[in-house]
Amino acid sequence: MKEIIKLIVKYHFTIVFIVLEILSFSLIVMHNSYQRTVFSNATASVFGAISSTTSHIKNYFSLEKENEKLVAENTDLRNQLEKQKLLQGKVFSDSLSANIQPQYVFRNAEIVHSSFNKTKNYITINAGRDAGITEEMAVVGNEGVVGIVEKVTKHYAKVLPLINVDLRVSAKIQKNGYYGSLQWDGKDYRYSYLNDIPFHVDAVPGDTIVTSGFSSIFPEGELIGFVESVDRKTANFLTIKVKLAVDFKKVFQVYVIANTHKQELQELEAEAL
Amino acid sequence: MNNMTFFVHTLILLLLQFVILDNIQLHSYVYINIYILSIYILPYRFRNVLTLLFGFLLGLIVDLANHTGGIHAAATTLLAYLRPYLLTLLLNREQLDEQQGKQKISDTGYFFKFVLVGTFIFNVVLIISEAFTFRNFSITLLRIICSTGVSIFFIMAYYFIALKRRKKAS
Repeated sequence: MKEIIKLIVKYHFTIVFIVLEILSFSLIVMHNSYQRTVFSNATASVFGAISSTTSHIKNYFSLEKENEKLVAENTDLRNQLEKQKLLQGKVFSDSLSANIQPQYVFRNAEIVHSSFNKTKNYITINAGRDAGITEEMAVVGNEGVVGIVEKVTKHYAKVLPLINVDLRVSAKIQKNGYYGSLQWDGKDYRYSYLNDIPFHVDAVPGDTIVTSGFSSIFPEGELIGFVESVDRKTANFLTIKVKLAVDFKKVFQVYVIANTHKQELQELEAEAL
Repeated sequence: MNNMTFFVHTLILLLLQFVILDNIQLHSYVYINIYILSIYILPYRFRNVLTLLFGFLLGLIVDLANHTGGIHAAATTLLAYLRPYLLTLLLNREQLDEQQGKQKISDTGYFFKFVLVGTFIFNVVLIISEAFTFRNFSITLLRIICSTGVSIFFIMAYYFIALKRRKKAS
């Protein structure tokens, strides 16, 4: 206490100065509307910055939950979209609409393991037979096509991704509809090759490559990637280098697409044989 | 300078400020403040809290007259606070001791230096606390320099008319 009083006595000049300056500035702020506005704006922006930072931090903790919610919503929306597509085709029979089963059903899953540095890469997802996954279902990510389900266990499924040399996917150039088969060369996980496109087809870098919908696995028009370069290696066909839309090093959230008409289609095609 | 003449000077300066200088509008950028001269010519023994209180009150009076809140008070309080430091800074210790208790305002060169630094600091606080922002700082700086120059002109004019001659006479 004595020390404090000593200190006050020693610096009384400065303390009085500070007190008077505070008094002056409080007078300035109180009596001048302009300075009052500036002052209150400044304090408001300071406290606004603080509260927005804290809410940023708070948001970070609920990010996972938010993500799950969004994924669930996305799945729901994609299912609805399929239903809608179907309804559009059957405008006249709307009395049946409640019972209409959309052709494609989406289920969400997460990747629990993946590889990208081999020639035969695989992805494991955390949805299996219990979640309604069966073999030969399509797997897409938010950016585009990931692969095809190869094997299913009770809780997990093994996915053959686009970056596996064993997988061939029927793909087409979106702008003109010419289709070919997409196959990986086993080198760079970012690029795949679209073969069997006739040499006269106009394909330039930047064109969009989508699924053709012929395989009864993928819905038509799912994004695969973009043309990187066009090469004419054989006399009659082009080899198109495709930059894959999905980054296999980054992909985490995927959707498994079930084609409810698949059996029907296969039966029909078997008959034809 | 004794207390009596000091207060007379202060009164005259305040009157000059209110009656004449506050009605002169050179330019909206330029403020003429002559009343701060009374802080420069404070009796030398006023080297304590009284200086501060005097500075604050002086600024407050000008504020009340001009309806400017505490802008002048803030500036004059700082000026009063810095006054002892300025006195020792601009004058070396020996000179200060030599002239202790006396007014040294008869030395024009020294007085001018004192006024120059003091007025500049005063105007920095005055104009920044009036602008209350650091945006358009070049304009603020221009206002500070112009106001300092014009204020010093009037202060030195008063100094030569009223103070310098009086000193010589005594």
